Amino acid sequence: MSGQYTNEPMLDIYIFETSQLVEQLEETVLSSERCGSYSSDAINEIFRIMHTIKGSSAMMLFNEISNLAHIIEDMFFFLREEKPINLDCSALTDFVFESVDFIKLEIEKIKNGDNADGEATYIIDKLKVYISQLKSNNNIIIEGKNTKQESVKTQYYISQSSSDKQLYKYNYKAKIFFEDGCEMENIRAYTIIHNLKSITSDIKHIPEDIIENDDTIQQIREMGFEIIFRANQSYDEVYEFLMKSLFLKELMLTELHDDGDFIEKSIKAKEASDSIKMPIIQPNQSVKQNNNTDSQGSAAQGFISVPVGKMDKLMDLVGEMVIAEAMVTQNPDLKELNLDNFNKAARQLRKITSELQDMVMSIRMVPLSGTFHKMHRIVRDMSKKLNKEVELVIIGEETEVDKNIIEHISDPIMHLVRNAIDHGIEGKDDREASGKNKLGKITLEAKNAGNDVVILIKDDGKGLNKQKILEKAKQNGLLHKPEEEMNEKEIFNLIFLPGFSTKEAVTEFSGRGVGMDVVVKNIGKVGGSVSVDSILGLGTTITMKIPLTLAIVDGMNISVGKSCYTIPTIAIKESFRPKASDSIKDPDGNEMIMVRGECYPILRLHQLYKVKSAREHFHEGILVMVENEGKNICLFADELLGEQQVVVKTLPTYIKKIRKIVGLSGCTLLGDGSISLILDVAGLININV
Amino acid sequence: MKKILIVDDAAFMRMAIRTMLEKDDFEIVGEAENGLQAIKKYKECKPDVVTMDITMPEMDGLAALEVIMQYDPNAKVIMLSAMGQEVMVKDAIIRGAKTFVVKPFKEDHIIKTINKVLAL
Repeated sequence: MSGQYTNEPMLDIYIFETSQLVEQLEETVLSSERCGSYSSDAINEIFRIMHTIKGSSAMMLFNEISNLAHIIEDMFFFLREEKPINLDCSALTDFVFESVDFIKLEIEKIKNGDNADGEATYIIDKLKVYISQLKSNNNIIIEGKNTKQESVKTQYYISQSSSDKQLYKYNYKAKIFFEDGCEMENIRAYTIIHNLKSITSDIKHIPEDIIENDDTIQQIREMGFEIIFRANQSYDEVYEFLMKSLFLKELMLTELHDDGDFIEKSIKAKEASDSIKMPIIQPNQSVKQNNNTDSQGSAAQGFISVPVGKMDKLMDLVGEMVIAEAMVTQNPDLKELNLDNFNKAARQLRKITSELQDMVMSIRMVPLSGTFHKMHRIVRDMSKKLNKEVELVIIGEETEVDKNIIEHISDPIMHLVRNAIDHGIEGKDDREASGKNKLGKITLEAKNAGNDVVILIKDDGKGLNKQKILEKAKQNGLLHKPEEEMNEKEIFNLIFLPGFSTKEAVTEFSGRGVGMDVVVKNIGKVGGSVSVDSILGLGTTITMKIPLTLAIVDGMNISVGKSCYTIPTIAIKESFRPKASDSIKDPDGNEMIMVRGECYPILRLHQLYKVKSAREHFHEGILVMVENEGKNICLFADELLGEQQVVVKTLPTYIKKIRKIVGLSGCTLLGDGSISLILDVAGLININV
Repeated sequence: MKKILIVDDAAFMRMAIRTMLEKDDFEIVGEAENGLQAIKKYKECKPDVVTMDITMPEMDGLAALEVIMQYDPNAKVIMLSAMGQEVMVKDAIIRGAKTFVVKPFKEDHIIKTINKVLAL
């Protein structure tokens, strides 16, 4: 790694920008491959991206990345300039992807603080062969760099007429050495010639072909750059003029008194070629000059990138502030005081804190498009290897989710997409035989639903086979219920159990022992859920429900004895005060209640958490019916305290370690400074089942 | 303090140059991501020196250089180039760029170059 930049911010921005560029590149390449050709815009973009990666990586001294980027840049330069016909898009794409994968891997290493020690030589060699093939296929004689510059090599000749001789009084010879390490000495030399033209038009120089021939760089480094010219200026003036040149290490200027000397030198210079060739000015990109520079400029918004850690901290602080605000405005000391002005001010404060909270939340929200578009690559690679034709359709990619959540759902989505291609979509022949379109379709859809985001992964493949699932579950001892009693949904949900896999052969892409249970676990970590629906022969839909954010929930506070609990409002179906006579008991002695003809189990919170409560009789307390994935239970509590937004804090680890407390997802601070435990409805329902 | 305008489409490069120059008492008066922005910023900030990347989207460094030189014939523009861009650098010199620096460059190198261009 570089000693030049040991500071983290440089590395961070390097990693951030390069990863972004690589993603952008992948998308461009994929869409080009889909079209079957690389448009000139796409070629330009890839060229530019590789150019940027090359430059940045070289600055950071990640030379392998830089070299690889350089060769791809060369390849796309060739494509841009020569526009070869019969280009094999798919092969080109493979090369670009192989390189992109290498760069990604290296970036990952750098991110993890490891050395970027990968060797790109094998890819570079392959690419070189490919490029030379491209060139020969395109009937281009490979003459080193000359091929590139053929188009710019239009020349003009410096006037050699004898009248020139009379125009200038003095003959000069200058020998110039440039500073070590200044690079591109040929262009530095050209700069001097260019400047000299302001005082004379009669110039010869050795070496001559400084622009066309890169070998002259070495020549100038070793032998110096020699210029012979005529001018009207005096020796001192010319000396001063030349000394102004940048990166000059050494200048030896001599005045040639003998005309013959000049001619002789000129002839020597002339021997190499008949005349001095200077490429004519040729703008190689047309200047799109327009007057709306202002509109263009202002359209570019200013962005700053902020470390996620700081955003998390800000979120935390805003959370604390929401609590502090409640602590002030709901302070017990203020009770029964006449506080009109205070209340007015307090309302203003509440308005601002809630706006602030919304704003911080919105900053943390990231669209799913990035995650979704990554799937294009997976679909492409897998369908190619499995010889299936699959198209990925993306709907609702602009749907936004909290940044922390995105990180948790990216892998599960990838796993589900792989599963869909591997196990869901049939081979081409099978599809045709069953009268389906040869092209399989996978739809990735996201949409908002209340406080959740729903992500659907649909395929139009063969669907889930209930019989097979049941057999497999039986084999693995996963059936806990008689087959006949299971409904369709329950059977499908078996695939989410640990240790379940219907595919006999483990393929490269899916089913590597990590099954759907891992997906469920990961989604569960962020408070989401997964369900599956399928029609045999028509396809499978997997639905992931994930919360918009982890940090703040709408909650209903309830009291049990002296303790306070918070139930996420989204899970509450209704609450009601029961009559003592409503309670019934099942044969095992579990309490149930009949509501509109349906029977629901009752969970007494004071019993579950061993809290002393004065209200143990039904008619004294209140029942809150909560729902999770279609299952309902009624929680028995003393009283409803009211609804409020609460900031979720995780339970301290020492508590988690001492005892595994079921049914709690975290805790929160209330306005009066007391602590409320947040109930995990799914957990509570599971205790009861 | 001498005023510098940094033009580069890569945020990394802009930050690298800014970090190097700010250590040495230069004032970065603006950053631009493409040629169009560069022209606008040049008119706004009147920098003493512009560091200009060549390959950029929207409008490249050469085109921007040309417009800036028309607007202010005394503009001091230093091109940032990479190996392989010799022809473009040569074009830039013809269009009035004072000199160029080849990426990757070191801190002292770019500072020395800017100081020399300022002394012209």
